[in-house]
Amino acid sequence: MSELGLRLAISLTQIGAIMGIVIVTVLLLTLAERKVLGWMQDRMGPMEVGPYGILQPFADAIKLFFKEDIIPAGANKLLFTMAPIICLIPAFIGFAVIPWGPNWTFEIGGITVKPFVISDINIGILYILAFASLGAYGIIIGGWASNSKYSLLGGLRSAAQIISYELNVGLSIIGVIILAGSLSLVTITDAQQGWFWHWYLFALPAPQIFAFGVYVISAVAETNRVPFDLPEAESELVAGFFTEYSGLRFAFFFLAEYANMVLVSCVAAALFLGGWNAPYPGTILELVGLPSLAWIENTMWFAVKTYSFLFLFFWLRATLPRLRYDQLMKFGWKVLLPIALANIVVTSIAVFVTQ
Amino acid sequence: MSSTVHSKRLSLSEWFKTITFYEILVGMKATLSHLLNYRPITLQYPHEKRTLPDNYRGMLALLRYDDGTEKCVGCDLCEAACPSRVIRVVSAEVPGEPTKRYSKEYYMDMTRCLFCGMCVDACPVDALGMTREFEWAVFDKRQLHLNKQQLLAIGDRSFPIREKRLELQHPNVAFFNVPFKHVPPKPN
Repeated sequence: MSELGLRLAISLTQIGAIMGIVIVTVLLLTLAERKVLGWMQDRMGPMEVGPYGILQPFADAIKLFFKEDIIPAGANKLLFTMAPIICLIPAFIGFAVIPWGPNWTFEIGGITVKPFVISDINIGILYILAFASLGAYGIIIGGWASNSKYSLLGGLRSAAQIISYELNVGLSIIGVIILAGSLSLVTITDAQQGWFWHWYLFALPAPQIFAFGVYVISAVAETNRVPFDLPEAESELVAGFFTEYSGLRFAFFFLAEYANMVLVSCVAAALFLGGWNAPYPGTILELVGLPSLAWIENTMWFAVKTYSFLFLFFWLRATLPRLRYDQLMKFGWKVLLPIALANIVVTSIAVFVTQ
Repeated sequence: MSSTVHSKRLSLSEWFKTITFYEILVGMKATLSHLLNYRPITLQYPHEKRTLPDNYRGMLALLRYDDGTEKCVGCDLCEAACPSRVIRVVSAEVPGEPTKRYSKEYYMDMTRCLFCGMCVDACPVDALGMTREFEWAVFDKRQLHLNKQQLLAIGDRSFPIREKRLELQHPNVAFFNVPFKHVPPKPN
């Protein structure tokens, strides 16, 4: 096999594995969200399909696949068909640069392979930000092409909201980038090794606690989740930008929303919470003499951080009511943006003084 | 938010609460405590059902005496009492007994019934009863248009213990077996 073919095969295997993990996570999340919401509201959540409703995601998936796929009469067919795909691809493509295990390399047939990251490109976080913004096109186009006032309003709201909060996400990340001196997520995660106070959330020259706060809030807003779910506000806009969608296309939007949640959580874990690093130096499995299995522990730590961030999404959804639109904009531009900018200034000065 | 007028200056503690998201944290603590002390108040309905109150007003039914004869005397008072015109009674003479009447046909359109129980109150012979049945969802609305046989069948399965026909009652007389105790006695 030629070198290119081998590289392609390895990359496709990795992509398949990551896609599988993400889709399984999304399935899990749909159930977990309903269960956690139910428990927080003294309900039981889904209980009918399988024991304690654990097969509910599969029932939902089967239902969505076999539903009739309706295109409204006045809709722009091409854009209406393209919008869910435009929304879905950026949500999945960001996972290419997420390191979900230790930065190991091994050689197969003369090429070096990093098993725990599909592609360690040196602009990693920039790449994620760029593609996350492209997802907004899917929402806007979907809202416009549906030929429905609710969809259009949802799409426009989403456009304004994502542009406003995308900025805050970008600015809150800059502090971390200054500290790490790199845009690559692998390098950023590697730089947070050791005890948990080396994580950039607590790291010494300039703890990124405020940046983390800004990031969390902006991430919730960027993924259109409660309390910032104005694009799909059920009580005002039916379902927002995907009002007219049904069947598989609706499933794509749904999948994109949850994949975005996972992506945002992965980025938060990698940038602020040390990624796959345990809160103690090294790993326990290494100490007990199993260094070849240490990646399991590291991956588990990454999963724990990601899932606790995802739990925060559910927790916020169970607690908070939706913001009004002017409150949303005011909060984004007048509160979060100055905090993020001040954080950049403070971090820059701290790094300049200590170096 | 409602407690503070926007133009008023915030006090220091209020300002501190605002910037630390104090209220949001209180709310999140409440939801988390519900998650940790998980005690669901919902019932898994088709599998477990609530115990109904004693005075539950469910499906209407026609009753019989213990000898199997219908109680209904066809007086139409239920039809008159019904606020949503559910009931339609076709009254007729018992053949050969000119003093006695019965309901030849008796229809209830349960799609309109609001279960107020006024027909039961109006009935002078206690021929109507409200059962504890409530699971009457059907695919065809016309199945809720009940006739006399169906209503008697509901009464038979819901009230297996039947009232005795009063001994004083002459079989040829439509006897109104309501004790007139609630009517105040005439002042002397």
